[in-house]
Amino acid sequence: MELNAGAGGNGSHKTASERDEVAALESLQFTDEIRRLMSAPGGDNASSFTALLELPAPQAVQLIQSPDSAKLIAAPAPAPAPNVDDFRGSFQFPFNCGLIDRAARFSVFAGDGNINGNNKSNSPEPTSYNSSASLQKPVKNEPAETESSQPLVSDPTVENRSIKRKDREKVKGSSKKSKTSAKESSEDAEKLPYVHVRARRGQATDSHSLAERARREKINARMKLLQDLVPGCSKISGTALVLDEIINHVQSLQRQVEFLSMRLAAVNPRIDFNLDSVFTAESGSLMDSNFSGMVIPMMWPEVQLNGNRQQYPQQLHLDAFQQPVSGREEVCNSYLTPENSLLSYDSSGNSASLHSNQLKMEL
Amino acid sequence: MPLLSFPFPVPSQNCPTTAFHLEPHSLSLFTLFLGSAERLSSLCNFVSLSSFNSLSIQVLPRMCSPCSLKQEFLKKWIMGIQRCNYSKKKLSILERKRAIKLSADVAMASLRNGTTCWSRALIAKAANQGNDDEEHLVEQIVKKAPIRTVACNKRMMRSKKILKRSRGVRRRKCTAQATRPSSIAQRLVRKRTRILKSLIPGGEFMNEASLIEETLDYILSLRAQVDVMRSLAIASENQS
Repeated sequence: MELNAGAGGNGSHKTASERDEVAALESLQFTDEIRRLMSAPGGDNASSFTALLELPAPQAVQLIQSPDSAKLIAAPAPAPAPNVDDFRGSFQFPFNCGLIDRAARFSVFAGDGNINGNNKSNSPEPTSYNSSASLQKPVKNEPAETESSQPLVSDPTVENRSIKRKDREKVKGSSKKSKTSAKESSEDAEKLPYVHVRARRGQATDSHSLAERARREKINARMKLLQDLVPGCSKISGTALVLDEIINHVQSLQRQVEFLSMRLAAVNPRIDFNLDSVFTAESGSLMDSNFSGMVIPMMWPEVQLNGNRQQYPQQLHLDAFQQPVSGREEVCNSYLTPENSLLSYDSSGNSASLHSNQLKMEL
Repeated sequence: MPLLSFPFPVPSQNCPTTAFHLEPHSLSLFTLFLGSAERLSSLCNFVSLSSFNSLSIQVLPRMCSPCSLKQEFLKKWIMGIQRCNYSKKKLSILERKRAIKLSADVAMASLRNGTTCWSRALIAKAANQGNDDEEHLVEQIVKKAPIRTVACNKRMMRSKKILKRSRGVRRRKCTAQATRPSSIAQRLVRKRTRILKSLIPGGEFMNEASLIEETLDYILSLRAQVDVMRSLAIASENQS
C-alpha cells in the first residue's frame, strides 16, 4: 500500500510537474522514502531513477487534481527495491538515452522548440556529469498510457525541488558535485512536497537557505538555457545584462511580427501608396535589430527600382543573405550554395518583377 | 518546375538554417491577403491541394521539429485569415494588418494547447479585447471553445490586478545599504524582470522561475512565427 501510494504520488507528481531543463547539481539524499519511491516505479526500467522536481505552487494544485494518480497507483508493479546503501558512496546510474527521448516527448511545453532546447541542454550536461555520476531519467515516463493524457515532466536531468523537508539530514559531501539526483517525485503521498537536497561543504544547512539555494539554482539553470537561445548572450556574464539582451530580443521579435503583418497586409497591389513607406519604415527601424537576416530582404524591393534584369534579384538574395552572417562563414557558405543552385526566376518571375517596378514608378 | 528557396539565417549559432521551398505555380495563387475573397480562396486552395507536400523543408538534423510547428502554424493562420475574410469585407489596410497579426498570434498560441501560461493569456486577451468578429475568429482558430480558459484567465487577471493595486507603493529608504553593489545589482535585475514581465503575455502573474521558462517557449514560437510570416511575405512579393 505504501509502495502504491508512493508510486501514485510519484506518478501524479511527475505528470503534473513542469518539464525542467538541467538544473543545478544538488545531489539528493536517499532515505527510506526514496527507496520506496525508487522501487515502486521501477517496473519498466529497474536501472533508472526519478529525479526530484521542483514543485511550484500551481503544480501542487494540479497534482491534487491530477486524474492520473488513480491510474498510476494501480499501474506499477513493485520492482526489486534497489539497495539504498549501494548509493551512499558513488552514485552510478546507467545513462539511458531512450528515456531521455521518451521524456522529451512528453514535455509539458508541447512545442517542438522546447524539445530541442531540452535536448540541447541535455546533451552537453550529461556528458559532463557522466564522468562523476550519471544522471537519471525519470522512471515515471514509463507508464506510457498515463502519460499520453497528460503532459509529463520530460526532463530526465537533475531537478531540484524547493520545498522544505521536515528532517533533513545534514550531509557534507566530499565533492561539491555529487549529483546523483534521484529523479522526480520524492513524495510518498500525492501532496508530499519534500525536497531532498544535499548541503555542500561549508554552506549553511538551514532549511530556508537550502530551499533558497535550490530555487536559485533552478533559476540559474534556466537562465543558462535562455542564454544559449538568445544570440550573443553566451558571452555575457551577469544576470542584468543577460536579461537586457533577452528583453531586446523579445522586443525585436515582436516588432518584426508587427512589421511583417503590415507588410503582408500591404502586398495587395491595388493599394500601393504605402508600400514604399512601409518598407522604409521597416528597414529603418530594424537596423538596430540584432536579428540578422531580417533587415536585408526588405531592401531589395527598393533596389529593384534600379534594374529589371533577372540577375538582380538573385544577386540581391545572395548579398542579402551574405550580409547578416558576415561573422559566420560556415553558415554563410552552407546556404549560399544551395541558393545559387535553387534560385531560378523563370520568365513569369521576371515579368512579375518588371510589373512591380512599373507599379513603383507610378506612385 | 523550378523551386524558390528562402533560406533563413538563424542568428543563433546553435540553430541551423531552415529553408522553405514553395513552388512557383502555387505561388501564383498567393494573391494576398484579404484583398478579395477569391484571392484568399485561391490561397487556401494552394494550401489544401498541396497539403504541404510541396513545402519541402530542409533542416539540419537537430531541429526537425520546428518544421512541423511551422506547418501547423501556417495551416491555422491561413484558415483564420480565410474565415476572417469570408465574414466581412475589410478594406482598410490597418484592419487587415490587425486581422493578420491577430490570427497569427492566436494560431501560434493555439499550437501550445494551453500548456503554457503565455499562450493561454494571449488567447484570453485576444478573445476579451476584440470585437465580436475577432472573438469569432479566435474561437475558430483555437477550436476548443476558449470560453472556459478565457473565463478562468479573466478571473485570475482581475484578482491579481486587485492584489497588485492593494499592495501600494513601497517606500524605499535611502540607507547606506542601498549603495551596496549587490543591492544595486538586485535592483537592476528586478527592474529588468519587471520589463520582461510586461513583454511576455500574461507575464505579470508568473513567478521568476516560470517567467524564464515562458520566455524560452515564447521566444521559440515567436521565431517560428517570424520565419513563416517572412517567407510568405517574400513569396507573395516575388509573385505580385
